[in-house]
Amino acid sequence: MTTSTTQGSEPSSKSPLDDLERRRAEAQLGGGETRIARQHEKGKLTARERLDLLLDKGSFQELGAFVRHQVKGFGLENNRPYGDGVVTGFGTIDGRLMYVFSQDFTVFGGSLGLAHAEKIVKVMQLALENGAPIIGLNDSGGARIQEGVASLGGYADIFLQNTLASGVVPQISAVMGPCAGGAVYSPAITDFVFMVKNTSYMFVTGPNVVKTVTNEVVTQEELGGADTHASKSGVAHLATANEADCLLKIRELLSYLPSNCEDPAPLAQTGDPIDRADSELNSIVPENPNKPYDIHDVIERVVDDGKFFEIHPDYAANIVVGFARLGGRSVGIVANQPAVLAGVLDIDASVKGARFVRFCDAFNIPLVVFEDVPGFLPGTDQEWRGIIRHGAKLLYAFCEATVPKMTVITRKAYGGAYDVMNSKHIRGDLNLAWPTAEIAVMGPKGAVEIIYKRQIADADDPAATEERFIEQYREKFANPYIAAERGYVDDVIKPSETRRVLIRGLEMLRNKVASNPRKKHGNVPL
Amino acid sequence: MFDKILIANRGEIALRVIRTCRKLGVGTVAVYSDVDFRSPHVREADEAVYLGPAPASQSYLVKEKIIEATLSRNCQAIHPGYGFLSENAEFARLATNAGIVFIGPPAEAIATLGDKMASKALALRVGVPVVPGHHEPLSDLEEARSVAEQIGYPLLLKPAAGGGGRGMRIVNDAEELPTALVACQDETRKSFADDRIFIERFVARPRHIEIQIIADQHGNVLFLGERECSVQRRYQKVIEECPSVSLDDGLRQEMGQIACTLSREAGYTNAGTVEFILDEDRRFYFLEMNTRLQVEHTVTEWVTGVDLVELQLRVANGESLPLKQKDVRLQGWAIEARICAEDPSRDFFPTTGMITRYALPKGRNIRVDDGVAAGSVITIHYDSLLAKVIAYGENREQARESLIQALNGYHIAGITTNIDFANSIVAHPAFVEGDLSTLFIEEYFEDGIPKEPPLREHLHYMVLAVTTIYHFRQSLVRDSLKPMATQVGGKPVARAYYDYVIQVSDGVFHARVEGTGDPQKWRMRVDGTEYEVVTPPFEFYRRRLKLKINGRYHMFRARYQEHHIQAAYCGIVRTFEIYAPREWELAAHMPPLKKKAEENVLRCPMPGLVVAVNVEEGSYVRRGQELVRIESMKMESAVAAPREGLVGKVSASPGKTVETGDPLLEFAEPSCGG
Repeated sequence: MTTSTTQGSEPSSKSPLDDLERRRAEAQLGGGETRIARQHEKGKLTARERLDLLLDKGSFQELGAFVRHQVKGFGLENNRPYGDGVVTGFGTIDGRLMYVFSQDFTVFGGSLGLAHAEKIVKVMQLALENGAPIIGLNDSGGARIQEGVASLGGYADIFLQNTLASGVVPQISAVMGPCAGGAVYSPAITDFVFMVKNTSYMFVTGPNVVKTVTNEVVTQEELGGADTHASKSGVAHLATANEADCLLKIRELLSYLPSNCEDPAPLAQTGDPIDRADSELNSIVPENPNKPYDIHDVIERVVDDGKFFEIHPDYAANIVVGFARLGGRSVGIVANQPAVLAGVLDIDASVKGARFVRFCDAFNIPLVVFEDVPGFLPGTDQEWRGIIRHGAKLLYAFCEATVPKMTVITRKAYGGAYDVMNSKHIRGDLNLAWPTAEIAVMGPKGAVEIIYKRQIADADDPAATEERFIEQYREKFANPYIAAERGYVDDVIKPSETRRVLIRGLEMLRNKVASNPRKKHGNVPL
Repeated sequence: MFDKILIANRGEIALRVIRTCRKLGVGTVAVYSDVDFRSPHVREADEAVYLGPAPASQSYLVKEKIIEATLSRNCQAIHPGYGFLSENAEFARLATNAGIVFIGPPAEAIATLGDKMASKALALRVGVPVVPGHHEPLSDLEEARSVAEQIGYPLLLKPAAGGGGRGMRIVNDAEELPTALVACQDETRKSFADDRIFIERFVARPRHIEIQIIADQHGNVLFLGERECSVQRRYQKVIEECPSVSLDDGLRQEMGQIACTLSREAGYTNAGTVEFILDEDRRFYFLEMNTRLQVEHTVTEWVTGVDLVELQLRVANGESLPLKQKDVRLQGWAIEARICAEDPSRDFFPTTGMITRYALPKGRNIRVDDGVAAGSVITIHYDSLLAKVIAYGENREQARESLIQALNGYHIAGITTNIDFANSIVAHPAFVEGDLSTLFIEEYFEDGIPKEPPLREHLHYMVLAVTTIYHFRQSLVRDSLKPMATQVGGKPVARAYYDYVIQVSDGVFHARVEGTGDPQKWRMRVDGTEYEVVTPPFEFYRRRLKLKINGRYHMFRARYQEHHIQAAYCGIVRTFEIYAPREWELAAHMPPLKKKAEENVLRCPMPGLVVAVNVEEGSYVRRGQELVRIESMKMESAVAAPREGLVGKVSASPGKTVETGDPLLEFAEPSCGG
């Protein structure tokens, strides 16, 4: 700690303006040059540099630069740096207003004391009142122990603000250093958590405690690094290559989002024709229903400019979610992924999908579903861990959503999973099917084994008989027309027409008004 | 002319034959296996007959089924294409006996010329020069030793059966001979149930030159110029051209006459190719004769103006050749690139998967013979050749430039191909010079990448392409969000120019984009060099971009990889990171990504069939040692040890089918190095 920068109150011999300059310069420097250099050596930027990358040039207006703590004891009374370890304020991204806080690891290791927490709470309240997104850049050693319960209280104040703002303004967290203990729960409540590979980690208890309690030896990176959370736990929505990558991706994400729950999703111009037909889509779905294909190939061919901003790409990859644009309008894509576990819905996929659907619904982002789902994953592991309860989350989320909702069934739509994936019955606005769609209670083989159990057992040649029944069943039920006859499918379209029909659908639903019964809040099965 | 023929093949060659048949009014019957039922060759033929399951041994190679199909569909003739049954004397005999015309040479000629020793004996008899060697199969190591002493090292061990360089081994000195001989015999025994090996002088830096001949049943034999096919990988051709820079007219006549003599003596009819190697002193030696239409026949067709498939049909139908030797003129230059489903960065291992995007290059001087489309599934069962791109020009340089442009615009997604590799060959300075040999790739490439760094100019063009894409998209989004803007941070003023810093593995570039008032015209600068750039209306979804730079059109492939842009041009494939100046300043603090710890498991690099496992649990292996052999798409490939260590559990076993990424074996202790 460089002591010279910590006592800013001696009288100045210069003019008030010079005095201001001096104080500002001191505040700007955070924990001092040495610590800044150390931060750079670790491949990390300072709190202010990060804001420089995140926000439009020259747009940042700091609030509370001269805040300092009032703590006595532990020698802290002699060490009162400006800002108290966090830079807060507002600025713009692509011209749009954003509120930000950026923890400064060079000051007290970014630890959170009362003054630090109050600054964060202040900008969060401003964001909430003014309907603009709040972006938190986390890089903090945790609670400031010297401040005791005041520090814990500070965390709770932030958690409360996070919760109040949830669903009102988008909340984005970047974890760019340590984030341990109670501190993890602020990012956890926010809408999106981005982590930086190799330099950030999040855990409730660190490796040392883990070792003492369970004798398990694990590194920080393994326990709570970016890759761990982006692939194993799902805590992080994206693991980014480095801090620059992380901040630029946050900018990009925000270009898809409205500023608050009252605004419509943004509209961006595109050179991609709205009636563009893509004949190659007609051959993407393999004729063999058991053969996989990559649903990204479908998504990227349909959306504007082939640009898809995927959320949670490495977690529960059997469902694909993310943002794209259709005819310029932001949409949320939810798609089963036949290339991973045949696109089956399991616990992780259901929770991942449900969270994303609820975000889109909260922020008026229309939903587009690409469906190719063989059902829910069977087995004791899934049942005992509560696939019923967790699968219900996805169902609940789609049922509850009142934004425009469109579904394209590309191939399989079997069983309960058919209902869940934004079916007509749960208020799907435009439900389309490709000619390859198979909408049924189950696949032909399973169905035949139940319906014709006796006939097959009694037959002279059971295998051939079963094969014949399967063929009959496939011909009769494995197509979209029975559902279309009942109006459960609004139209059967050529795959090549998908883009055009979906954009027309969005236009048709542009002024959609739908609501749910008045209630305090629903009781989503948690 | 025939009324209807059956084409006993698949892929591009089946389509090629169909094209000529259509021109001549000949009906076509295609054949197909389980995995081919929606292949283009089935769609294009007038009729199609199902043969059987995917493995060629149960479909395209079942002679009886094909003969039966030919008869049941009332076809008068069979065109065998290349590969499969095209050089199978027994099949030709079966067809003839069934009263079907086999579009190719008589069975006896196939038998004689198809056997390397028999054909060499014939060549010696009629005075065709052959590489010094021993023209009898080796009986044992002792004989091999004494023969080797006579011929002199370095020498080459060649199996009598098979082709395409399979099983050949170079022996540099007497010490290497015993192991090489055993390995060579093992492989050819396993593949062809034939362990006859012969031995000959190894010619350093040879060129591969071949003569196209065509012979009718009335004693007329013509040669249609030469082809140079020196650029090869794993003994298989990649780039072929007609004519060759290494032949003058004298040598051409000499080689052509000798090829004709050999064909005549063998009683050959129909199209055939006599292959030679040419050493650095321009001495040529007979290699072998291919008794079928060659993959690379297209370059000959373009330069001579002859339709070789048409001539094949006419000759088979008993007609006389419609032209004389004096009518054969070589005009202009043609170069062909073979496009294969393979990974040049992994020793050209075959790749499989579904083609998800497919866009062909077009142009006056471009011909593409392909057999795939979007939705085609590439399996391990057949040859990895997907297509051939042929470019023509008045001279070699024009043809070469057309080919580069064509390959720049050829887009196949979903599987890894050698498009960019082929392009980097054609763009290579040594290729421009015509300094070719069969060692070309070994000499100038490493892991499928040129050893020389790319041309600065090419990188500049790529920088222009990615910068315009990035700039255009950024501006579009920024402008679109303006209605939602807040007036903090000053009034946004339209800037006269925008600066970007572009980072790529070859270095850092500084680019400036300046509008001109015309929304499609830009003044741009890369590291101080000025460029005039005209952009078309942007169509990112195509993932191709055509830019006019300083008045000339260039084609790029480009796609976003998150917010970076990956681009390909002239065989150079790079990911470009694009930053605004301040972003760049801060990005400089970013550390390079750490490599992941080395895996302890050796994974299968390609799908296929395990044919041999050379180690067992407890073996200690050195880096680069061959551990497992895998066969895929008619080729055997070795999987080498990625590092030194003790082998743990071995999961691969001969006869097992494996997919890419399947574990083959594990190492006993974790790797210490990263």
